Amino acid sequence: MTKLTSLDSHAALDESTREIRDLKAALDEHAIVAITDPQGKISYVNDKFCAISQYSRDELLGQDHRVVNSAHHPKEFFRALWATIGRGRVWKGEIQNRAKDGTFYWVDTTIVPFLDESGKPRQYVAIRADITERKRAEEQVRELNAALEQRVLERTAQLEAANRELEAFSYSVSHDLRAPLRAMDGFSLAVLEDFGPQLPGEGQRQLQVIRQAAQRMGRLIDDLLGFSRLGRQPLRTQAVDSGALVRTVLEELGAPWPDRQVEVRLGKLPACVGDAALLRQVWMNLLSNAVKYSRKRYCARIEIGARRDGAADIFFVRDNGTGFDMRFADKLFGVFQRLHRVEDYEGTGVGLAIVQRIILRHGGRVWAEAAPDQGATFSFTLGEGVGA
Amino acid sequence: MTTGGTGQMLLVEDNPHDLELAMRTFGKAGVAERVQFARDGAEALDRLFGDATRPVHAESDNLGLVVLDLHLPKVDGQEILRRIKSDARTKHIPVVVLTSSRELKDVAECYRLGANSYVIKPVSSEEYALVVRTLGVYWLQFNHPPK
Repeated sequence: MTKLTSLDSHAALDESTREIRDLKAALDEHAIVAITDPQGKISYVNDKFCAISQYSRDELLGQDHRVVNSAHHPKEFFRALWATIGRGRVWKGEIQNRAKDGTFYWVDTTIVPFLDESGKPRQYVAIRADITERKRAEEQVRELNAALEQRVLERTAQLEAANRELEAFSYSVSHDLRAPLRAMDGFSLAVLEDFGPQLPGEGQRQLQVIRQAAQRMGRLIDDLLGFSRLGRQPLRTQAVDSGALVRTVLEELGAPWPDRQVEVRLGKLPACVGDAALLRQVWMNLLSNAVKYSRKRYCARIEIGARRDGAADIFFVRDNGTGFDMRFADKLFGVFQRLHRVEDYEGTGVGLAIVQRIILRHGGRVWAEAAPDQGATFSFTLGEGVGA
Repeated sequence: MTTGGTGQMLLVEDNPHDLELAMRTFGKAGVAERVQFARDGAEALDRLFGDATRPVHAESDNLGLVVLDLHLPKVDGQEILRRIKSDARTKHIPVVVLTSSRELKDVAECYRLGANSYVIKPVSSEEYALVVRTLGVYWLQFNHPPK
């Protein structure tokens, strides 16, 4: 009976020894293993430890871990490590070590303290995994990020410098280019006032031409500055009541024009999302064009409306005015591009360029359809992200 | 325009053409003798605060208006404005900024420094004359400065 039990327990012991041996073999395949005594002296290392540290087992046994110390970690790091395992707690962390040839390697480390009957550490078993590659990749990512950040900083600085330069430029345009114009206009007027009676009529007319040209250049400078300012100010988007906006713009343009016959048809306009001040300028420029280019009609007709096209609302302004030849449609939205003679229709040729710039900044699109003497239709959308 | 008041105007203007046109307008309005001018920022400061030979300018007490361009050689207009408005002897003097700058930051900065008015020089001569005449009439005739 007893014998049988003893045999059984022998078998059980064999079984568990085999299991432990198998486990150890598997562990040695996978991990870097070392055991140290309570003082930190190495009492066991497996082959992987020897391989990664490049020290032989004989060189390691009896040493402490300072033999592989890389001087990467501060003293406090190891003090905290020892304080943890000294209290019988498991320590986990990443350690950079130095191999015999001076190269560095990183190990993900778990140190498990084993205690004696009195609760004091009997030995420490350290299981480690080689994470040198991962650390190198992390370091590369860090370096790339730092380089990228540096480049972003440099680019931002360049852009800011370019912006400041542009601002200084438009500043000087607004100030310095205007002064000679004032002199041209002012002294022409002074000649007319002081010597007008002595001048023949043709001389007076020529002085008026100088004055008109100077004043026109003043308006060109103003419009150009307005156009360049558009690109600099940030969009302040909000919900915009298109119908109310169009009504105030029409009012400002002088609707219902008592001295002309103008029929305005204002359809129902959907609300939209955009920069109200800029969209106001879009409507102002399109509507004032419609009013301007239809003024030779006995009865001018201006139609304002919107239609749905898939996800986008298309707004349009249609007039029955002088129109234009579609062959020149590509010039329509360029700065200082005009399709009519200045003596027929006044203007600087910046209005539609401003319209296009604002619409593009809203992520939208603007286009025109027209024929000579058949009126014109200007249509625009606002971008999907911005539109209602 | 009648010359009811007795105050003087200091016109600070570096552009000789603008200055000539302004003086022409003041002449027509009959106030040319009440207008002094300075051609750059340093000269304006000398007239306002005196120089080595005149520690305090004799006429600055009777100055009813300073009309100031912003872009001036040597000392710029904003610095002159700052000096005028931070000195007990001069801070009561109305200062009108007359400039071609439409920059919003110039407008904001001038008012922050205590400018009494900010006027953009029109290109059209009729308007320029109107502006200069209106400024003279309003600030020298109608405005009642502290004494």
